Amino acid sequence: MRGFFLVMKAELIRVFIVMRRYWFRTLTGLIIGYGMLMVLIAGFIYSRPMVQEGLSRLDDPGAATNFVLGFIIGMYAFGVVGMFTQGIQGMATTGVLEQLCLSPYGLTTNFLAQTFIASITSILSSGLMVYLVSWTVGGVLHWDTIPVLVLLGLTFFNLIGFGFMVGGLVLIFKQVGQVAVILRMVLFGLAVFAREEILNNPWPVRLTLHLLPVTDAAICLKYVLIQGQQVDGQFQSIFLHPCFYWLVFNGCLWTFVGLAVFRWMEDYSRTKGTLGTY
Amino acid sequence: MALVELINVNKHFRTHHLLQQDEMTRRRRLYKRNEVTAAQNITFSIEPGEIFGLLGPNGAGKTTTVKMISTLVRPDSGQVLVDGFDTERQRREVLSRVGVVLEGTRTSLWPLTPLENLLYYGALKNVRGRVLKQRAHDLLDFIGLQDKKNVQVRKLSRGQKQKLALCIALIADPKVLLLDEPTTGLDVQSSRAIKDKLLEMTRDQGRAVLVTTHDMHVAQELCDRVGIINRGRLAACMPTPELLEQFSGRVFEFRVDREVPADRFLDIPGVLEAWWEKGAEGSLLAVRLTADDASRSDALYGTVERLRTLGLRLIGLNQRRETLETVFLRITGEPMETSDEEAETPSGTGES
Repeated sequence: MRGFFLVMKAELIRVFIVMRRYWFRTLTGLIIGYGMLMVLIAGFIYSRPMVQEGLSRLDDPGAATNFVLGFIIGMYAFGVVGMFTQGIQGMATTGVLEQLCLSPYGLTTNFLAQTFIASITSILSSGLMVYLVSWTVGGVLHWDTIPVLVLLGLTFFNLIGFGFMVGGLVLIFKQVGQVAVILRMVLFGLAVFAREEILNNPWPVRLTLHLLPVTDAAICLKYVLIQGQQVDGQFQSIFLHPCFYWLVFNGCLWTFVGLAVFRWMEDYSRTKGTLGTY
Repeated sequence: MALVELINVNKHFRTHHLLQQDEMTRRRRLYKRNEVTAAQNITFSIEPGEIFGLLGPNGAGKTTTVKMISTLVRPDSGQVLVDGFDTERQRREVLSRVGVVLEGTRTSLWPLTPLENLLYYGALKNVRGRVLKQRAHDLLDFIGLQDKKNVQVRKLSRGQKQKLALCIALIADPKVLLLDEPTTGLDVQSSRAIKDKLLEMTRDQGRAVLVTTHDMHVAQELCDRVGIINRGRLAACMPTPELLEQFSGRVFEFRVDREVPADRFLDIPGVLEAWWEKGAEGSLLAVRLTADDASRSDALYGTVERLRTLGLRLIGLNQRRETLETVFLRITGEPMETSDEEAETPSGTGES
């Protein structure tokens, strides 16, 4: 555990240095992100009457905010899983992965710390973007600190568990990296369009949707941030919502499966002689 | 006690290929399985304060050996010990005692400066606080990068990056340093600087250093002992002076106008071997002479005399400069070349 915090501290300093050194890139990233979301929203709401009509049929006054939040959660999922796939490939190419493998704390601890810091950075910048976009288009976000933090934490464990599993496979089967791009797109799309309505499907589809690491996270976060934990004007806590239990279950499942697969694959790649190479 | 010990270590790699093109026939095969021997009964040890050189062609198993010592590759059988700790059962202890510079990798983080790199990697290797800062500065001083400590790595020259890689390997003050082709691609000046620092560090600080190289000059200048590895087999392991003996100019080439049986020269005192070779300008009589200087001189005169007696006209005489290839041929009985199979070793230079 001490190792995790030491690595996390080193990673935090590294990220801060890079952000400070490339401040222009950081700033333009935020501005471009904001601009892109605004263009998308404008496209959906003002230039596409049919889409607007479709959205209005869902009787959702915060359609734009809903979309933006979904987009941000999708980007987050896309980024976290990508950190394990594209990240591993990039680090292997530059030789940094070999150095991480040579750390006495082990590859798992190093990756856990890296993703943790990257997630915090992502959540902070994404949060800022959501707020700015929501404020611009007149949407309202209901910020309820404890539920939001709990949900973000569970989402994090869902995604890193899934990321560890895919990353572990990438250590051995290099082609998985390309398949993971499709998986990331699926997660992204799911986060954007995740609503409770999509769970009204036959049970195999419903089960698959529940087991994917982002569906319940997106539904829960939208429920808290957009609907303000209200059903027909009545307050109903997120902690009583069925999707929340699925999120908890998935968090445990993916973390366990992800870490187990990653360790197993790390061990196997030592036997195969491919640890640290790509 | 030896700081590094390899005892009967074996490693085979199996590689699987789908739809791979055959280099010879240019046809694609649906499935191809290769088996490569990267280490076969490798046994050697390195003492504190010693530089051990592992020589061999590309794909011989040098990088795999380094990776087995640094726990990146698991041996199939045998035992690898670092400071008495088993690389399989006590991986964490081993990793805290080993510093590695692998060939062909960037290692350092280019957006950061050398100082920031050292602080980052030091933290990953459990070096903290004031000790870490002090050691980072000391290493930059030692290697001669103090004036570049705040320059981004991407702006440094290749030699400076390699020096930084060495500092990164040393940041946890390891007892064992593993260097895979440390001077490959460097200019003479940078290569010289790195070799000097390695010598200084090993002698003064009592580390055990393993250097892999296919450059005989590096081995000659640096190493106390040398192992020659080919196709995963340690073909020779001896102190450098003994190996240099193999390289000494004991073969003389006599360019003559015609050939006579080579065994006509074997009875000359001091002549060990004699054989004919086809040179660009005619026949060459190659004669290997004894190592002893006085006897060698007599043998040389004796051979010239014999040529005259046999009625051969001596056109030219040359002392052969041995290369790693010829010594390798003599030791292993095989030419020093990289086979396709060897280059496919997953951990070897072929893929790294």
